[in-house]
Amino acid sequence: MRPVKPGRIQSAINVTPLVDVVLVLLIIFMVMAPQMHKGPDVDLPDTAKPREQGDERNRILVSIDEAGGLWIDDQPVAPESFGDRLRAAAGAEQPDIKVVIRGDARLRLGMVRQAMRAIEEAGFHGVGLIAKQPGAEAKGD
Amino acid sequence: MHVQREGSHLHSEINITPLVDVVLVLLIIFMVVVPIMLKGYDVSIPRSSAEVVPAQAEEPQVILGIVPASCHILGQPAGEGLPEDCRVTLAEHEIPVADLAARVSEILGGRPAERRVLFIAADDRLNYEGVLRIVDFAKSRVDDLKIEFITTD
Repeated sequence: MRPVKPGRIQSAINVTPLVDVVLVLLIIFMVMAPQMHKGPDVDLPDTAKPREQGDERNRILVSIDEAGGLWIDDQPVAPESFGDRLRAAAGAEQPDIKVVIRGDARLRLGMVRQAMRAIEEAGFHGVGLIAKQPGAEAKGD
Repeated sequence: MHVQREGSHLHSEINITPLVDVVLVLLIIFMVVVPIMLKGYDVSIPRSSAEVVPAQAEEPQVILGIVPASCHILGQPAGEGLPEDCRVTLAEHEIPVADLAARVSEILGGRPAERRVLFIAADDRLNYEGVLRIVDFAKSRVDDLKIEFITTD
């Protein structure tokens, strides 16, 4: 249905601003994706080939910050109450939930192993040690 | 069908709709995937009740020993890759850490998957990242290798 006159009305939506906005959003999400974790800022160890550890939402995240402080998800936890808090976090309905440790790269191994032992004593078998691949993110710390 | 006359000008714009579709789908994927994607290593420590493991004569436990005297990773390692000047003990032989993956696959690669267990006896003073890099390297050539951290004392 071409109009007769050459100066016809352009009926298509101008899609370019939409594309701009969406591309910017996409870039923001790509950049933010590796940093949006619960808990404290932890400088995760760089390793060559970490395996998939699944979805953060089905895991209990135990973080150990640079000073050795323990966190469960986004709450700091005293070492004495760690086991109880861990069982509370798992709840009655999911006793087999997996626990993962986000340990700071600057820690001594002993700190991580203490946490592993505490997790084991709280009744969870096996943990995931979370790492990242070098270059996967550039955290400015 | 009008063929090019002066009235039917060429349509010179790129059809941008498929691009928008793809980008929107990518955006949605990223938004959904953001909290996912944890990466790391499954490890465990031997259960205290099971510390006395019946020794199997034909398949001895393979223990990877890392001590600060021969593997100096007390601080966070610089750069990427394995720590330099590091020697580790694998099944009672001291080897350079660069040979570790080959030796582990030689020793454990032939075992059935459920018995591929590497015990790590690493000193508590060592740097966590350095140890994890060695663990990563040790696992790199064997599928389904289980890692157990044992205490050195």
